[in-house]
Amino acid sequence: MPEQALAELDFKRRLKVDLFPTIWCPGCGIGTIMIQLAMVLDEMGLDETNTIIVTGIGCTGRMGSYLKHESVYTLHGRTLPVAEAIKAVQPEMHVIVVSGDGDMASIGGNHLIHAIRRNAHLTVLCNNNEIYGLTGGQTGPTTPTGTKTLSSPAGNPSTPINLQGLVRNSPHALYAKTTVYHQLHMRNAIREAIEHDGFAFVDITSQCIENNGRRIGFASANEMLTFYRKTYKRAARDAVELAPFEIGVLYPADGQHPATNGSPVEAIAEPSRAPEAEPKAHPVVDDEEKARRRAESQRRLALMQKLDPAVKLQVAKGEITLADALRAAGIDPESVD
Amino acid sequence: MRRLTQGNEAVFRGAVAAGANYYAGYPISPSTEILNVASGWAAQHPEFRFLQAEDEIASANAIIGASLAGAKAFTATSGPGFSLMQEAVGYAQKVGVPCVFVNVQRVGPATGMPTMPGQGDVMQVRYGSTGDYSPIAFYPNGVAEAFRVTVEAFNAAEESRSPVVVLSDTFVGHLNEVVDLDELAEGIRVAPRTIPPLGQHEPGKPRFFAGVLMYEHGPNAGEPATADADEYLRQFYDSKHRHAEVASRYALFEHGWNVDASVLVICYGIVSRVAAPLAADYALFRPIRIHPLLADEIRAIADRYEQIVCIEANDGQYADMVELALRREVKRVPLLGGRVSLEAARDGLARVLSGGPSEPPIPPAALEPVERSPLGIG
Repeated sequence: MPEQALAELDFKRRLKVDLFPTIWCPGCGIGTIMIQLAMVLDEMGLDETNTIIVTGIGCTGRMGSYLKHESVYTLHGRTLPVAEAIKAVQPEMHVIVVSGDGDMASIGGNHLIHAIRRNAHLTVLCNNNEIYGLTGGQTGPTTPTGTKTLSSPAGNPSTPINLQGLVRNSPHALYAKTTVYHQLHMRNAIREAIEHDGFAFVDITSQCIENNGRRIGFASANEMLTFYRKTYKRAARDAVELAPFEIGVLYPADGQHPATNGSPVEAIAEPSRAPEAEPKAHPVVDDEEKARRRAESQRRLALMQKLDPAVKLQVAKGEITLADALRAAGIDPESVD
Repeated sequence: MRRLTQGNEAVFRGAVAAGANYYAGYPISPSTEILNVASGWAAQHPEFRFLQAEDEIASANAIIGASLAGAKAFTATSGPGFSLMQEAVGYAQKVGVPCVFVNVQRVGPATGMPTMPGQGDVMQVRYGSTGDYSPIAFYPNGVAEAFRVTVEAFNAAEESRSPVVVLSDTFVGHLNEVVDLDELAEGIRVAPRTIPPLGQHEPGKPRFFAGVLMYEHGPNAGEPATADADEYLRQFYDSKHRHAEVASRYALFEHGWNVDASVLVICYGIVSRVAAPLAADYALFRPIRIHPLLADEIRAIADRYEQIVCIEANDGQYADMVELALRREVKRVPLLGGRVSLEAARDGLARVLSGGPSEPPIPPAALEPVERSPLGIG
């Protein structure tokens, strides 16, 4: 009953819930990424009038059809040139690329290094499940050395590609590493990536239980998530490099570098963001306000969790207010731990 | 202002006159001048977006993205680059993306003879990508015509909602003729954009542009239709009929020279210029719209001629199509290896018209080293 599970949360406005259940296997991590992305879009006031989604081939590519946004489902590996051109023609749009590790780093690898070089003003979410899942489980560019897959039965002989190194090669690009287990962290990383003025890459480790996890010894998606919980740790606040199994957001050294997007130099000197355009539903807010809003929405969520599902649904539909529901249930609104 | 203008530049200026405001490309002889001119134009016109892409695959996909975002977009390349673009051509055909691909042909296959003229991509344009589709393509034979044909290509792309190809070749691309670009741009018809840009969809109905077969309308809109043959047929014939209808508005050709001669010579692009001194003895049919084949137009005149000969800088690619359409023999004079010359055309005509083979006599390989041209060509 996905409608009921999602009913209490505003972010479902960003989703085509009528197309659910999704095509993804039970236990897949992509749905979690989509929910977190939808939450960020909703929080930031990004909607179908100001945000374009570009996806590539593979399981991850299907995300575009479930988001209520104009989206382009590109050829295999070609998300970045398509997205970069969209951004060049409509600089006021947010362009978010959602793609798997194979699409992004293998067949699209050349485009990745050059989009980074040109500092294309894009947000890239890479669903890094370390496998070609849609085709049944072949070695991908991020598959760890030694992993047995359908195309490396004796173990992957190659070193996985260093996405952090690739992205951090540029003085302008943001790199974030997170996992599907660390959902709040993922949400914040996606948000910071969208806010970054330049190329931003969010590397999201996620589980593919059906076509990878079981073959490498996990019994369930839950076990894989538990593995992420136990092995991935937050990096120090001032980290300039993430060690293996560290999650965090690395900002570029040079701060606010203008995105070029293949535009002529003059166009960069003059702000090309169409200043006369009427303000979008994305007001500029300072960091403190953002933190306050985030805390408020998290507090509200925690309070909602204490309610009976039927009452939650009523709150979500706006039939009763959250305060009334809490009072009726005898819960102290300040009782969030 | 009348001035000496290069064919490649005329293509670019024609694109601009047609409203083009996005160019993505990758350097490749003999199309590179289009990239050069585009970068200079973009530096002076900030509303014109320019991308020197990392490869032709990126160029082709970038113009698709730019077109969906609302720009009139094009790229230029040569045969090897066009091969790399084929997957994107198919995507643009499937999704219905108006855009223009310029292919300034050289001698292939592979890297081939990069500085020499060829016409070997006639069939690559027709069948190069996977699956069935019905492309529209034009091929000018001079500088002024390159300008005009490029404008028509952009118009046809918008009206058919498909990628349209402008074919050219080393000689047409590098041909310098005195033209007045401003005069050429006067009074041209420019088709408006036919698909709303990304972000400007019907309220509540965001679009999903996909290479995979999807239901576009009806109760299942937005869902994959990857196992529904009927839906495939609906979309396939919809675009096929639309392309045919639009192409019929651009039935550009030339029927000339000595129309009363007994032999009809079919040639296009630079070959029609090179062979022009044969005007007194032959009739000429010169297709400007290369695809789809001008079958009705050729059939209407073919019966007047005892023999039909195709002279082209490939091994009979257009001749195959004509022969199939007319159900009668079409003789071939292939001008291969970059030897696009009046002498080769005249010798070839004499040979095939006297019952000889289309294959020219080939001298044995030299036993002594051949003296190399200081320019590395010829």
